[in-house]
Amino acid sequence: MDLYVDIDRCIYCHACEIACERVHGESRISVEAVRDRACVPVLCHHCDPAPCAAVCSAGALTQGESSVIFEAEECTRCGLCTIACPFGAVYLGDADGLQKCDLCPEMEVPACVLTCPAEALVWGDGVERAGVLRRRAAGRVAQYYAESSGRDRISMSQGGAGYE
Amino acid sequence: MADERLVPTVCPYCALGCGLYIKINEGGPMIEYMLDHPTNEGSLCAKGNASLEIINHPDRLRHPLKKTETGWLRISWDEALATVAGKIAETLRDHGPDALGFLGSAKSTNEENYLFQKMARTLGSKNVDCCARRCHSPTIPALKRAFGASCMTNPIADLANSDCIFVIGSNFAENHPIVARWALRAKDRGAKIVVADPRITPTAWLADLHLRIKLGTDVALLNGMMNVIIDEGLWDRKFVADRTVGFEALADKVAGYTPDKVSGIIGATPEAIVRAARIYAGSDSSAIVYSMGITQHSHGTNNVAACADLALLTGQLGRSGAGLYPLRGQNNVQGACDMGVLADFYPGSVSVHDPIAVQLIEEAWGTGPLPIGMGMTAEMMPVAAASGNLRFLYIIGEDLVNSDSSSSRGRRELESLDFMVVQDIFMTDTAEMADLVLPAAAWAEKEGTFTSSERRVQWSPKALDPPGEVRSDLSTILDLARLLGLDFDYAGPEEVLAEIGRVVPSYAGISMGRAGERGGVIWPCPFPEHPGTPILHQEGFSAPGGRARIVPVDYLPPAEEATLDYPLLLTTGREALHHNAGSMTRRSFSLMKRAPELFVEVNPRDADRWGIVDGDLVEVKTRRGEAWARARVTTRQEVGVIFMPFHFPETNMLTSDVIDPEARIPEFKVAACRIGRMKGLI
Repeated sequence: MDLYVDIDRCIYCHACEIACERVHGESRISVEAVRDRACVPVLCHHCDPAPCAAVCSAGALTQGESSVIFEAEECTRCGLCTIACPFGAVYLGDADGLQKCDLCPEMEVPACVLTCPAEALVWGDGVERAGVLRRRAAGRVAQYYAESSGRDRISMSQGGAGYE
Repeated sequence: MADERLVPTVCPYCALGCGLYIKINEGGPMIEYMLDHPTNEGSLCAKGNASLEIINHPDRLRHPLKKTETGWLRISWDEALATVAGKIAETLRDHGPDALGFLGSAKSTNEENYLFQKMARTLGSKNVDCCARRCHSPTIPALKRAFGASCMTNPIADLANSDCIFVIGSNFAENHPIVARWALRAKDRGAKIVVADPRITPTAWLADLHLRIKLGTDVALLNGMMNVIIDEGLWDRKFVADRTVGFEALADKVAGYTPDKVSGIIGATPEAIVRAARIYAGSDSSAIVYSMGITQHSHGTNNVAACADLALLTGQLGRSGAGLYPLRGQNNVQGACDMGVLADFYPGSVSVHDPIAVQLIEEAWGTGPLPIGMGMTAEMMPVAAASGNLRFLYIIGEDLVNSDSSSSRGRRELESLDFMVVQDIFMTDTAEMADLVLPAAAWAEKEGTFTSSERRVQWSPKALDPPGEVRSDLSTILDLARLLGLDFDYAGPEEVLAEIGRVVPSYAGISMGRAGERGGVIWPCPFPEHPGTPILHQEGFSAPGGRARIVPVDYLPPAEEATLDYPLLLTTGREALHHNAGSMTRRSFSLMKRAPELFVEVNPRDADRWGIVDGDLVEVKTRRGEAWARARVTTRQEVGVIFMPFHFPETNMLTSDVIDPEARIPEFKVAACRIGRMKGLI
C-alpha cells in the first residue's frame, strides 16, 4: 500500500500536518506553498532504493517491502539520512529523534489521508490509486472534449443521482 | 482496555457540523475520525484536528471570579449567581428592562440559547443578540424577503451534484475546507468553478475562471451577469413566471449594467463577466457559495439580495445541485438565530414587530406580555452603554471587544456599564473587563443540540467532565432564572428541546433521539415521522403567495475610499489555522506554532512604494487606530489593497464602523489605511 499526492487538489489547509502531529507528537508531513499560486504536501516518498536507508550505517533505516522502515532503538542520530533525503522529509526532531513518515502502521489508513478534506492524499496499491486518478480525470476530459469539439457541455445532473 | 469508549460529537469550530468521535481511555481523550458522517466523511480540517487542545488547557476558567481592587477573587457559585441576580433586579428596579443587555453565544447549544433569550425577554428586555450580527445578519433579512427562509438551501455534500459552483466572497479552502471536498468532486465530474474575489486565495486556485474584482463591487458584478443573462435569453422563463414576482423591475434595473460599464467598476474584463454569466446560467444546476466577502459591507443586505436575484432569475434553486450557500462561521450560529438570539427575531424567525405572532409565543411560555419591537443589536450595546441607556450586560461565549469593528471605541464604551458579567471557557479580553466571570463548560463537556450551516440539527452527548467547578451554560442559566423568580423548570436539555419543538415549527419533529442519530436531522422537520428537508424551495417558497420575491438593487461603493492621507484600502478575513477572534485557536499549541502572529499581506508594488520588505514589522493606520503586523509581500494581494486576518486583537482596532442600514453589520471588509515600516515615519 502506498500514499500518493494529487497535487492539483491540495488547498493549503494544513489539516494533514495537525493530524500527523496529533498521532505522532511531531508532524512528518508539511504543506509548502509555491509562489502563493500552488502548494505541495511534502513527506517521505518511501523510495526504492531509498537514499536514506543506503547511507544509514546503524541499520535504523531499512528497505521494507513497500516502505522505508525506521527503528528508533538502532538510530545514532548521526543525521546522514537527513542529508541524503532529496525531499527534506527525514529530519531530526526536537524530542523523539528521527522523524519520518511510517505510513501509520497501526492504522488501516494513515491519519493524514483520512483527514484530508480535499482528498489530495490517496491511499491504496498501485492499481487502486490509478483507478481513483483515472475516475477523477475522466469527467474533466469528457467535459473539455465536449467543449472543444463545439458541442454543448455534457449534462451531468440529468439522469444522475441527486441528493437524497 | 475495558473502559475505552467512543463518544460521537460535533466539531466546535466552524458551522459545517462535521462529526468526529472523542475516544475516552486512560491515556486521555483522543480524536477518532467518523467515517460515516454525511458532511465530512471522517475528514477534519486543521482546527478540527486540534479541537481537543483547548479542553485541558491550563488557561481554562475553573471557578467563578469577582473583580476586586486587588485583582480577581475566587468566589462560590452561590455568591456569584446571587450577585448577578441582585444586579439584574436592581437594574430592573432603577432603570427598567431596556437597561439590560444579553449577548448569547453561537458556540452554546440550541437549548442554552433558547433559555437565555427566554430569560431576557421574560424579564422584559428586548436587548438580545449574538455574534451573527457580525457575520450573516444581512443574509437574514435579504433571504427572508426573497425566499421566506433565511438559510442555506441545500446540504454541503450536494455541491458534488452541481455543474457550476459560483463562489463570491468566500475562501472556503481555508475557512471551510470540507466544502472543498464536495466542490472538487463536482469538478471531477466536469463542473466549472467560478470564483469572484479580490484576492488570489487557495479557493481561487481551484477556479476555472477567477474574476479578480475590486473590493465591495459585488453588486455591480452580479447585476452585470444578470444583464448578460437577460440579454442573451439565458434566464429561466418558466421558473420566473411560475415561482417569482418582480422580474420586470429587475430587468429595468440591470439594463444599465452592461459588461463594458461593469468592467469599469469591478476591474475584470467584459469578456470574463460574459463568460461567468454564461457558465452560471447555462449549466444544468448551479450553486452560489458566499460568505463574509458578501455580508461584511455597508451594503451587505444588497449584496445578498443580488445573489438571491441571480439564483431566482436562472431558476437555480430547489433542485439537487442548484442552491444558495451562505457559509456560516460558528458551530451553532444557525441554531442561535433559529432560537431567536437576535434583536429582530423571536424563536422560529418570528419578527419582533409582529404582535400577533409574538402573542403565540406568550401563550406557549405562559408569560405576561413580551416586549415588541427592535432591541439593541450587538454593536449598539456598547454605544448605549456609553450614553447610559444600557446599564447591565450579560455576555456568554463571545470576545466582544476583539470581534467588534473599531474595537478601541467599544472597549471605552463598555467601561461605562454599571455591571458586566461574562460567561466563557477562557479569560478573554472581554472577560477581563467584566465585574464577574462565570466559568463555562466547553462543547464536549455538556450535552445538547447544535445546528450546522446546512440546518443539520445534531445531538452532541457529553464526553468529558468539565474542569474545576465549571458548569454548563444551561445549568447556570437555569439556576439564575430560578433566583430571579422565573418558572424555569426543566430537568435537562432534552426537556428544553421538547419545548423548542412546540415553539419553533421547523424543529417540531426533532427529538433527542432523532438528533442523536448519525447526521441528525435537517430542518424543517415539522413532525416526528418527517425525514427532514435537505433541499428547500422544491415546491413553493415560504414567502407570501408561495412566490419568491426578486428585489433589484443598485451598486453602491464602499463607505471609505482611498485618499491622499489614507492611500490604501485594508480588507480583513480569515486564515486556515485560526478561528474568528482567536480565543480558542490562539491557545492551541499546534496551530500557534504554525501561525504565531498577526500578518499583513502587501502587493510587491505597494511594498516598494512604502519601503517594506517581506518580514518587516509594519504599522497599519486607519482613522480609528493603528496596529503592528508582520509584512508578507505577495501577489496574492492586488495593488492598493492590503489584507489582515482578524484573529488577533489588533486588526479590529482598525476596521470601519460604518454599518449596513438594515442588517447593522459593520463594513469589516473595507477601510482606508496607510502603512509604514517604522513608527514616526507614517
